[in-house]
Amino acid sequence: MKKFLKSFIQYYLKLLTKLVLWRHKPFIVAIAGSTGKTTVKEYILKFLREKHGEEEVRGNPKSYNTEIGLPLAILYLDSGESSAAKWIKVLVQAKMRALFGRKFPEKLVLELGVEEKGDMKKLLEMVRPNVAIITNVEGSYTYSNSSLEIIQNELRQLVSEIPEGGYIVLNNDDERVRELKGSAKGKVITYGFEEGADARATDSKTDAEGQTFNFSFQGKSEPVRIKKYGRHFVYAWIIAKVVKSIL
Amino acid sequence: MELRASRIPGVVSLAQGVPSFDTPEPIKRRAIEAIEQGKVAKYSLSPGILEFRETIAHYLEKENKFFDFETEIIATAGSIEAITATLLAILEPGDEVLIPDPTYTSYQSAIKVARGTPIFVPLDEEKGWAFDIDKFEKLITPRTRAFLFCNPNNPTGTIFSRNQLHALAQLAIKHNLYIFSDEVYKDFVFEDNGGSTSTGRSNLPLYSLAELRGIRDRLIYIFSFSKAYAMTGWRIAYLATHQELAKKILAVHDALVTCAPVVSQYAALAALEMADSELAKYHQIYKKRRDLICRRLDKLTKVFSYQKPDSAYFVFPRIKDEYLKKISTDGGSWQFAIELLEKARVATVPGAAFGPSGENHIRMCFGRSEEDINLAFDRMEKYFS
Repeated sequence: MKKFLKSFIQYYLKLLTKLVLWRHKPFIVAIAGSTGKTTVKEYILKFLREKHGEEEVRGNPKSYNTEIGLPLAILYLDSGESSAAKWIKVLVQAKMRALFGRKFPEKLVLELGVEEKGDMKKLLEMVRPNVAIITNVEGSYTYSNSSLEIIQNELRQLVSEIPEGGYIVLNNDDERVRELKGSAKGKVITYGFEEGADARATDSKTDAEGQTFNFSFQGKSEPVRIKKYGRHFVYAWIIAKVVKSIL
Repeated sequence: MELRASRIPGVVSLAQGVPSFDTPEPIKRRAIEAIEQGKVAKYSLSPGILEFRETIAHYLEKENKFFDFETEIIATAGSIEAITATLLAILEPGDEVLIPDPTYTSYQSAIKVARGTPIFVPLDEEKGWAFDIDKFEKLITPRTRAFLFCNPNNPTGTIFSRNQLHALAQLAIKHNLYIFSDEVYKDFVFEDNGGSTSTGRSNLPLYSLAELRGIRDRLIYIFSFSKAYAMTGWRIAYLATHQELAKKILAVHDALVTCAPVVSQYAALAALEMADSELAKYHQIYKKRRDLICRRLDKLTKVFSYQKPDSAYFVFPRIKDEYLKKISTDGGSWQFAIELLEKARVATVPGAAFGPSGENHIRMCFGRSEEDINLAFDRMEKYFS
């Protein structure tokens, strides 16, 4: 019974999601990869909202990024969790928003979560991104290379889905991500610390106030300070800057 | 005391600091899902699964604590493993570690396991068990390597103030010491005229030294899921510290446990993502129980004097001299607690277990149910009458 209800909710939400996206046709930026998706999303939202205004850009609340989570993110609804009554309310609200909702942001910044073979296909049945960002392919387990190849292939589907006019932003420091370039039809922009990246961070330093680095992109260079720690924040800043330049 | 209590039928225990609740449903569900999806049978990376560490970093960020999840956060098998692994990483035999007196009993054994020497620094009972910074400084020697404390403090329920903590941080810089900030009870801070926020966190400010960037190279922040999410049996916690120190701790952690239990990492991930409402519920319940235990203590003023705890789920009453001498012939809290156990069938923890300044006190835990608290006090009232 539970399985049937879950399938029904998935089917119904997927249908309504397709409908709402068909009605409003937003520009979709999709972020996928093993880690760093939420940080990247937050930086992109910050940068794009500065440029386009608060109302016109929306991201997944609470990192909803699965087959059920993504429709909730797009329809801007909370999960019904394990309550049937809450789910009925969610489905009614979803229907109202999909059919009659007038306000919808021009740009969506969405995390796409993939863990297993087939996950990306299910997500791409709902959304057609204009920009794909791949953060990394990393594992949480020792000796698990085969599962990383599965994730890499899932991400390849997203990369190949981006049309010629679209953009693919790839992590140049991650070999599995770099390899995805070969599957791209759209314009590829690479980022990272290592030589060869189109958008590159150099001279990275950490101090008590955070991190500093030098950012180079499209022939220009600028010093940057961020108040947080970890290379994923540097990546997120660079990606957001690249996306801002595209949009 | 728990072991002794377990041999006596019908004992009601206010001794062990364990929540009376079962682990919240969303956490258990996530653990079951992870098992069914085949995610938990293998070792994770030694510092923990990436998703868990990334979520921890996001969670800490909301509390103004900034750590790199890739290099500065390690999932551990309970907070005591985090503490022991760190002590093993930083201590040479004979090094000294300053700990408040009274404080959590296991700190002493963890320091000894790492071949260090625990040095008690008496807290000031008259000032609400506050730090006395001068006493700290006077006890620093060339062998001193670290301060280790929990905030809020167990067994006193004290919250150390921002000023006291800053003074401690200055001492650490001056004498080149590490600071362990164990914040296992941080989610249970009570206030008497307001209540908690919708997320269960108190409006009372609990300042953490992990917010102070200037000491991030010498601070070890520790949080356990055991108390906040009723997960003592899952053995899951984490530490966050500067990457250079994290590397050294990771080598010890790897040697001790390889990785924290993977199923528990998934469960704790769910706790951070989904269990805010449970946390809020527990907070309200503990506040109610704190008020109940204080009301019951108010009826025993001839036996105990106490300070109303601001946080955690312990009250640490002082036993009045007259009753201490009457009940405990040797005048100590051990004998008093044993008498209470054997004659009144109420288990408590003798204050001396927490350090010399804890003598003449007992610790009572209000993590237990209201029924247990009422039954224990009914028995004590009868016994003392």
